[in-house]
Amino acid sequence: MLKLHLRRFAPAAALAVALLVLAACGGEYPNSTFSRHTELNEGAVFLWDRMMLLGTIVFVIVEVLLVYTIFKFRRREGGPGPRQIHGNAALEITWTAIPALILVFIAVPTVRTIFENQRKAPAEALQVEVIGHQWWWEFRYPQYGIVTANELYLPIGKTVNFSLQTRDVLHSFWVPQLGGKRDLIANKVNHIWFTPSASMEPTALNGACVEYCGASHANMRFRTFTVTPAEFERWAAHQKTVAMGSPAAIAAAAAADSAAKAAAKSPVVRAASVVPAVALAPHTDSSSAPEAWVFPAEKIAAYAWPQTPLPATKFDEALLASGDAATGRALLTNPANLGKAPCLTCHVIKGETNYASDDNAKGPNLTHVGSRHTFGAGLYRLDAKSLALWIKNAPAMKPGSQMPTFGAGEYNPAIKAAVPAAAGLDDKQIADIVAYLRSLK
Amino acid sequence: MASHAIPTHASAASPSSEQTGLWSWLTTVDHKRIGILYLYTALFYLLVGGLEALLIRTQLAKPNLHVVSAETYNQLFTMHGTTMVFLVVMPLSAAFFNYLIPLQIGARDVAFPRLNAFSYWVYALGGLFITLPIFFGLAPNGGWFGYAPLSGPTYGGGFNMDFWVLGLQILGISSLAAAFNFITTIINLRAPGMTLMRMPMFTWMSFVVQFLIVLAFPVITAALFFLQFDRFFGTQFYEVSAGGDPLLWQHLFWVFGHPEVYILILPAFGLVSEVLPTHSRKPLFGYNVMAYSGIMIGFLGFGVWAHHMFAVGMGPVADSIFSVATMLIGIPTGVKIFNWIATMYGGSLRFPTSMKFAIGLIAMFTIGGISGVMHSSPPSDLQQTDTYFVVAHFHYVLYGGAIMGIFAGIYHYFPKITGRFMSEKIGSWHFWLNFIGLNLTFFPMHFSGMLGMPRRIYTYDAGQGWDLFNLMSTTGTYMLMIAGLVFAYNFFSSRQRGAAAGNDPWGAPTLEWSIPSPPPEYNFAQIPEVASRYPMWDLKAPDRTEGIAHSHADAATIADAHAVPVHEETERRSAKELGIPMPFPTIKPFMVALGILILFSGLIVLHAGHFALAMATMLGGAAFMVGSLYAWLTSPLE
Repeated sequence: MLKLHLRRFAPAAALAVALLVLAACGGEYPNSTFSRHTELNEGAVFLWDRMMLLGTIVFVIVEVLLVYTIFKFRRREGGPGPRQIHGNAALEITWTAIPALILVFIAVPTVRTIFENQRKAPAEALQVEVIGHQWWWEFRYPQYGIVTANELYLPIGKTVNFSLQTRDVLHSFWVPQLGGKRDLIANKVNHIWFTPSASMEPTALNGACVEYCGASHANMRFRTFTVTPAEFERWAAHQKTVAMGSPAAIAAAAAADSAAKAAAKSPVVRAASVVPAVALAPHTDSSSAPEAWVFPAEKIAAYAWPQTPLPATKFDEALLASGDAATGRALLTNPANLGKAPCLTCHVIKGETNYASDDNAKGPNLTHVGSRHTFGAGLYRLDAKSLALWIKNAPAMKPGSQMPTFGAGEYNPAIKAAVPAAAGLDDKQIADIVAYLRSLK
Repeated sequence: MASHAIPTHASAASPSSEQTGLWSWLTTVDHKRIGILYLYTALFYLLVGGLEALLIRTQLAKPNLHVVSAETYNQLFTMHGTTMVFLVVMPLSAAFFNYLIPLQIGARDVAFPRLNAFSYWVYALGGLFITLPIFFGLAPNGGWFGYAPLSGPTYGGGFNMDFWVLGLQILGISSLAAAFNFITTIINLRAPGMTLMRMPMFTWMSFVVQFLIVLAFPVITAALFFLQFDRFFGTQFYEVSAGGDPLLWQHLFWVFGHPEVYILILPAFGLVSEVLPTHSRKPLFGYNVMAYSGIMIGFLGFGVWAHHMFAVGMGPVADSIFSVATMLIGIPTGVKIFNWIATMYGGSLRFPTSMKFAIGLIAMFTIGGISGVMHSSPPSDLQQTDTYFVVAHFHYVLYGGAIMGIFAGIYHYFPKITGRFMSEKIGSWHFWLNFIGLNLTFFPMHFSGMLGMPRRIYTYDAGQGWDLFNLMSTTGTYMLMIAGLVFAYNFFSSRQRGAAAGNDPWGAPTLEWSIPSPPPEYNFAQIPEVASRYPMWDLKAPDRTEGIAHSHADAATIADAHAVPVHEETERRSAKELGIPMPFPTIKPFMVALGILILFSGLIVLHAGHFALAMATMLGGAAFMVGSLYAWLTSPLE
């Protein structure tokens, strides 16, 4: 009976395994854990390879013995009776000792790798603070004074020392291609460090929260852009500036202008004063501001572009083309509009009058939101339509989203009620806000 | 054949006694009937947990699907885990503990028959308490692991996790009461001559498991009390804003949670250790080592909990210790695998469905064991933890191991329990659908995990390289559901129409096969005297047991009074006729269990804000419980 079935199913099983292996070798796997981009990956892949080899050997021995035994000793009519062996001390010691020996070959490199990975990070490492929120990622670069969200820029060839915290429940930070998961634990600052290999191509990678954190755990994703050190400096120089069009930006531009005039008058001090001006001064005038460098969209592979379907929320898309950034900014920043567009009570736009600080903001910092490729924790492409739908009704696009519904008359699934027409934003106003946000390069 | 046969007469398939009807089931204190209650209830929950899995896999069949909402999905995966661990695998094991332990050790019942009924009713009512809320969208949604602070009042403020915390507390009462009962039973009620080293291996593994329960459940009880007080009474054990420590929960949970894995798997190991020798016609290879390795697994199981927490940043010393301790568990487990193969080696094998499932366990558990060793290495585990690779790993252990072993046990013991055989033909279909389905479901998860797919996500984006593997897993799950239906058909039709089985349909070696199928309420008309590990083989096939340690079963001995009386019944006699005192049926254990349920329900009312009603419910429940308990304790047992 058994033999019959084995014969019947063995080819199917072999085919299935072959298909799996083929599938695993043939396709494109953007989140593979087998890359060797960092020292953490190197250690993990080395151990994996060794365990895979030893594991396969054990697997083959056990299964071959098992199948051999099944066929060899199946009951035959008139065949010999069973040989009565009840135990064999030598054999049993052997199959206790050999696995123990195998484990030594795993344990020694394991312990060595554990201690290597958890050494103190080099002092000159780039510091990045990762802060988890339900359900988005905040990234801070304290050495640069940058606060950003959901898109992480890392210079290749340079060690990055992450310190990880959460503002609410537990999360876990993971970029599969860079290795080394680390949980974000409330009331604790966690650490992990690694070095994206200098030989690595600048590339866009997917990351995700891997500790269950509630309704939108699946939607807590982020992008990592590994860039050259020069590109990183250009990106950082721009990201640390204040928001375009903000009072602070205008004032700073005026100050920079007069400083430049003064410098022109006394050429002797010019060389000394220009360097910090380039490094620190915020600008609005594109001719003098650091160029707004971001990871080029055309170099982002398909897998890193979100394909989340948009909800059925209705929006007059024709309005998007005529959205006016200045009107949008006025809507956001004029205290008279706080009832309808209380954006700055939860978000920070550096240079504007904020009602929240970076330390208590409920939503991502929007200072340079227009320079990002995605939003909603990597859930949507940052284009005008997606952004408009989001402002109109975020909870419909992300279950449990703490960003409320703002569209007039829209049904808010979180509170099971529609926004009164008078209290909400109309499509024109949303289009203006979208235009403003997208101008925040 | 046997000179000591008792001349009683009954047709093989008659019910075990005249007791029928709902009331008889509510009041039974017979360990066999309680075992059957456990079996049916747990099989029902297997269907529930399976349907939850089916919905989960349907949602994940393709990227960006929305068959169910995120919230519903989170309830489904929480309940799938909770159901399968606490309402399916543990109670299925309990069904076998109840039914088999007294039969295997030659006892007439467990040590505390009424406490046994109480354990079952607490389980049954606790299961309803934690399951029913799903119909109101209020099912637990914080994961079966309930990590704080998501499970606490600040971030899990709804009723959902109330049901989880209180439900697990209720179920814990059941497990602890049962464990003390079985420990006492095994220590005190063994038949004369049944030394520890003559106990059947299933009883041995069950014995180890009861100690694991007694040592592990108080830890989760304490952890749950902290959470319960945080949720209902404003304590701050895990409350982050008050400086509480979420890691306290994780450590406590896994100090329970890892031994729990062995609580789930060791009974299946025990069942397989009964099936393999029987159908190989050879005694278990290395009996002593099999018993000791079970104890070792149980012992080491308490020293490895933090391997669930390598990503929390415990530092290199703790990581190393828990890593190496985890690797060590692989050794006794590997010994078991090799000893099972050696049991079959040189034997005379036949392959009824129970044997297929037993061999299936060896083949599949090996895969789960190997991926388990891979997880023990933190640098590598950090790429695997909380991905689908882990989901693959523990399903090979719990489905390929525990569930396969339990199916082996069901097919093996069905003739003893019902007096009828299950259909081998349909059984074979069940096995192969199950075997292929489980590999189709879980093997691709190794790939989706290593290719970066996180666990517990209700949806995933397209283009991540996971689509094919997920579709395969979903297809496999449907196959498993079909296999389950085939099993259900086989189970119920065989119960009605299966071929009659005698006392000892398989030619098995242990005491439970010496009595009629189904056994009479008193089990053994005459308590046997045991002189060997394999009393039935001493009698029927003495060549197999020659020279076995702890046995002195030569021909002379068998002919002597030490042999087992085989009850060749032709007509069943009642306990009364035989003058055997049996415990009275009683409703009181059920009433105490009901009182506990009412008491805990009061906390839900409290959360709903009805203070007076809550107090009335809790005081009423407590009074009902204490009153019923008083009535129970003051009424005579037999």
